[in-house]
Amino acid sequence: MPSVGKNIPHDSAVGHVSGESVYIDDMAPLRGELIVDFVWSPVAHGRIRGIDLEAARALPGIAGLFTYRDLHHNLFGAIIQDEFLLAEDVVSFIGHPIVVIAAESRAAIRAAKAAITIDIEELEPVFTIDEAKKRGLFIGKTMTIQRGDVTSAFASAKNILEGTFVNGGQDHFYLESQAALAVPGEFDQLTVHSSTQNPSEVQDVIAHLLGLPINKVVVVTKRMGGGFGGKECQATHPAAIAALVAHKLKRPARIAYGKDDDMCVTGGRHPFQNDYKVAFDDDGVITAAQIDFYSDGGAFADLSTSVLGRALTHADNAYYLPNALIRGTVCRLNYPPNTAFRGFGGPQGIATIETILEEIAVVLKKDPLEIRRRNCYGIDERNTTPYGQVVRNNHLPHLFDQIAERGDYHERVAQVASFNAASRTHLRGIACTAVKFGISFNTKFLNQANALVNVYLDGSVQVSTGATEMGQGVNTKIRQIVADEFGIDAERVQLMATSTEKNNNTSATAASSGADLNGGAAADACRKIRTRMAGVAAEYFERVAGIEQSADEIIFENGDVFDRRNFAQRVPFPALVKMCHLERVSVGERGFYSTQGLDWDADKGCGAPFLYFTQGTAISEVEIDRFTGMMDVRRIDMLMDIGKPINPGIDRGQITGAFIQGMGWLTNEEMRYDAKGNLLSHSPTTYKIPNIQDLPPVFNVDWIDAENPLNIRSSKAVGEPPLVLAISVWMAVKNALSYLSGGTIPKLYAPATGEEILMRMTEYRHAARGADAREVAAPQM
Amino acid sequence: MRDHILIHINGKPHRIDGDAAFETLANYLRRDVAATGTKIVCEEGDCGACTVLTRRSAEDDYRAVNSCILNLAQLDGSSIVTVEGLRDEKSLHPVQEAMVQCHGAQCGYCTPGFVVAMVGMFERCDRPCDRIDEKQVRDGLTGNLCRCTGYEPIIKAALAVDGAPAAKMRQRYPSLPDANDSVQVGTFCAPATLDEAIAFKREHPGCTIVQGGTDVGVWVNKRRYQAPAMLSLAKIDSLRELREEDGTVVVGANTTLADFEAFIADRIPELAGIMAIFGSPQIKNAGTLVGNIANGSPIGDTLPYLFVAGAVLELNGGARTVPIDRFYLGYRKFDLQPDEIITRVRIGIVRDTLKLYKVSRRKDLDISAFTAAIRLAMTGDRIDRAGIAYGGVAPTVIRLPRTEAFLTGKSATLETFEQAGRIARSEIKPISDVRGSADYRLQLAENIMTKFWYEVFGETTTPRLAHA
Repeated sequence: MPSVGKNIPHDSAVGHVSGESVYIDDMAPLRGELIVDFVWSPVAHGRIRGIDLEAARALPGIAGLFTYRDLHHNLFGAIIQDEFLLAEDVVSFIGHPIVVIAAESRAAIRAAKAAITIDIEELEPVFTIDEAKKRGLFIGKTMTIQRGDVTSAFASAKNILEGTFVNGGQDHFYLESQAALAVPGEFDQLTVHSSTQNPSEVQDVIAHLLGLPINKVVVVTKRMGGGFGGKECQATHPAAIAALVAHKLKRPARIAYGKDDDMCVTGGRHPFQNDYKVAFDDDGVITAAQIDFYSDGGAFADLSTSVLGRALTHADNAYYLPNALIRGTVCRLNYPPNTAFRGFGGPQGIATIETILEEIAVVLKKDPLEIRRRNCYGIDERNTTPYGQVVRNNHLPHLFDQIAERGDYHERVAQVASFNAASRTHLRGIACTAVKFGISFNTKFLNQANALVNVYLDGSVQVSTGATEMGQGVNTKIRQIVADEFGIDAERVQLMATSTEKNNNTSATAASSGADLNGGAAADACRKIRTRMAGVAAEYFERVAGIEQSADEIIFENGDVFDRRNFAQRVPFPALVKMCHLERVSVGERGFYSTQGLDWDADKGCGAPFLYFTQGTAISEVEIDRFTGMMDVRRIDMLMDIGKPINPGIDRGQITGAFIQGMGWLTNEEMRYDAKGNLLSHSPTTYKIPNIQDLPPVFNVDWIDAENPLNIRSSKAVGEPPLVLAISVWMAVKNALSYLSGGTIPKLYAPATGEEILMRMTEYRHAARGADAREVAAPQM
Repeated sequence: MRDHILIHINGKPHRIDGDAAFETLANYLRRDVAATGTKIVCEEGDCGACTVLTRRSAEDDYRAVNSCILNLAQLDGSSIVTVEGLRDEKSLHPVQEAMVQCHGAQCGYCTPGFVVAMVGMFERCDRPCDRIDEKQVRDGLTGNLCRCTGYEPIIKAALAVDGAPAAKMRQRYPSLPDANDSVQVGTFCAPATLDEAIAFKREHPGCTIVQGGTDVGVWVNKRRYQAPAMLSLAKIDSLRELREEDGTVVVGANTTLADFEAFIADRIPELAGIMAIFGSPQIKNAGTLVGNIANGSPIGDTLPYLFVAGAVLELNGGARTVPIDRFYLGYRKFDLQPDEIITRVRIGIVRDTLKLYKVSRRKDLDISAFTAAIRLAMTGDRIDRAGIAYGGVAPTVIRLPRTEAFLTGKSATLETFEQAGRIARSEIKPISDVRGSADYRLQLAENIMTKFWYEVFGETTTPRLAHA
């Protein structure tokens, strides 16, 4: 029985439910271990005039205080090296670390924080995209994707629509806040346990900042208590800070952010403000689209340019844009650097084009799904993206038609309309949106992975890859892949902690591609071992059963090895392992995988950046209280193409989790700041991620039966795409407002909080009753 | 007077002396007991990752509480079960097994809290508890946040559990420390009698009374709050009262919000409706109604009802009484002498027309942006008397005398309530904060009157969304 396709539990599930799984802050304290924390900038933009550490140095329990002067290098960055780990003369966001404190106790940390005085001259901060645009404060250069001629298309257009899509940020709210434990070794070596999606980057940055060769640093990641992109780049900071202490003081050093601190000092999903102009015919078919993306990158580049790139390559989403001019610019603001977050710019790009389609429907007074269907990528024509990649194996038309049927779309649209006509107290809306999410890192070289597979004498197997486990089940999937390669039970395969000692120069576990890349590498290692084992087996079968030697005929299945020409003669897998050992044939191997066929020119904005697309459609229906703006999601239907799942239970969990996370971003999760740039919503009391009551009463999740021969075991990446389908919830709110907006396009910012919804409804009510009717209390009926 | 704390953890006795008693239970578990299954995330009782079960007396069930905002001193005499105590040597608890099989855990960090809270749901003695339904699952887990699963697999797991074969925790861990006597550790005192409590409060001006600690625990964690002294009334049996008397509900200072909610379910269903979305089970199992009153937050969710129902506070066992709408003198300022303790509250059971409202960003377990209580005494369609209280629009919960006066004598038409909404809007000056802008609150203050009209006098055909 193959393991792939089976719904086996997550490989850490038993540890998770019994409290035995170990995270960084659960590790037992080491002898001499220090607690590490830091003092950060209390102002969003300022010049440091002086730092007084004398009083703090004299305090009991303080082992060390460090500033940027204690670092070999201070400047780093994954793409653009513009970030200072510790502020030098300028601070550029609230939360920017300035002084590192290493202490014997938490009380000493608190005392030191109170005793350190930093004299900062406040400079004028920039808190809006508009202000950054005005001042020309940008990160990187403007990126462009262009096809055809939008100018002449606009000139000859039947209809033109213009608008701006605005979305807010989102905190990752991984339950386990950033954490690291750095342990000094002999000869300047360091072992750093880090809750990171990207051990190799943590390793590289630590070596760079401390002036060590990379081979002096080992980074180990057993697991994360959630990542979602928040630990792709920004787990590096705590790890580097702990490493600095461990390196300087030669004592183990642990840092674990509190949740409030984590939310204040780390960046999140990028706010965007996108101006669009589209031309379309009277049937709603788009003839040209010009979209100018502006993102809030925060104070430093981090991954912002790459996030923007994904926004641009997803500005088409499921829809064919014959003439397109898509441009994007990252703005530099005085907030913490925004970073990777599940979807990575894709959601912002897709929300923009979905908004456009919804608004075309309002303008033409047609059904929005009909408009979407007309613009949807075709199978054999109208199937090339604005950047030139052909959308192969396109299931979108089918997914649209199927979801409409399964979700009773047309019937429910009619019900919503009659409900809204009848109800004085509530308002409903319904929307169907799609996702076409490109799989592969936009940056070509990142699409590689290596794996180490060791088979032991009892036939049990250890696998190490560069993939990091953050709950998404990548280790379980690799376990299943490896089990099938050897024809053994998944129980016999143990996934090891990710370590840069085992796997070098790895890519982040990101872009939904962890299982694609690392599963591919692990399978490669297994096949190499299997080939050698098959040779030994063939010799054996010739010796004992007179079967002519042919390694190609050897089958690994159900824990046994046999020649397909003689089923009866079998060797148990462990016995063959032992045989190999005695024959001095290696049963350990390193595998490698690199995604083939990618071709992307970021400067020109053209090529084929993706191996394939994960696709889906969703229908959401909402109900709004006309008096309070409070919103309930009544029903969600989702249908996806995720290939052949390696583990259906795990993939389903990715779909439901991603959708609800996306719904949080677009509804109740709001990063609220005061006028000085202080984050006000910095804990779950004020920052409201969805809770269990927010799961809609009807939540239908399904996928079609489809192959994906391009990827390991015909599977598809699933981590990010379903998040994008949550746009249907926000769009349903917009649809509801269209019943009040008197034929005009209903405006709505994301997130659609109760306050946002109520204020929009109030606006339309006032507009409906005339400008002098501001005092009228009843909602429009 | 005993000078140390006695608790049991997973059946093993622990004695805690001196300053260690002021450590939170979560920290004690993680650092001193090396039981790191209990996670600390938010340190304010809003995520549930630190959930443990506690039990204080032989009559009690084990109940889920947040261990990150409870200190050890408060728990004197309690028996505690952590995630490590759920399984036996041979097998997982059925809840754990269901979570494994249903993919209820992804990253695993919230999982121990969910598992413990779920086990707690099968510990209730007041109902058959071999199976729970979806409503019970959702209501029982509002205090646990998960960022990975979208909750669907967790609900499936809970519904798959057969609780019958599991040994109940009260059978697995029946023992309680022998600790009914008065205890004082440093500046913390938990006396066994009210007289001792009053004496302690008199001797320690500025003393903070800590009951469930659901507010004080957060202040300590987040603001490094240091009370000159702390007093717990938990051991005073007479303050556990909860009964109906002469058309009122009498609630002692030790009555938890959970017990209060169950008691009023049929007596004051409108208030029970607010209690259902008021806070998590963990908070309601620890926090008390009197604590909610004494905290005096302008957005305390029970207060608007108490205002329009004419609740009366009894101090020091009845030595003095104060009507609740005269108790609040300003933002967290009270008509309460240094040697006075709120010992009980007497709450009218309103049988008039009554609606309570709570508007928050997220419907469940969220601090309100705006709250309201609207009560009408009617003859036919004529309003004889109106009682209106708003929260979240001033430093305290307030009555709206002008709006009340306007409504008195009017007939209940839509126009009347639209006008009332505009008057209500003009009576308040709310502020903008993280929960909403002043404009938003003004609009809510206005709209809620119309909403009330529709709900009470208007159409009734609109089907209301019911959670499955």
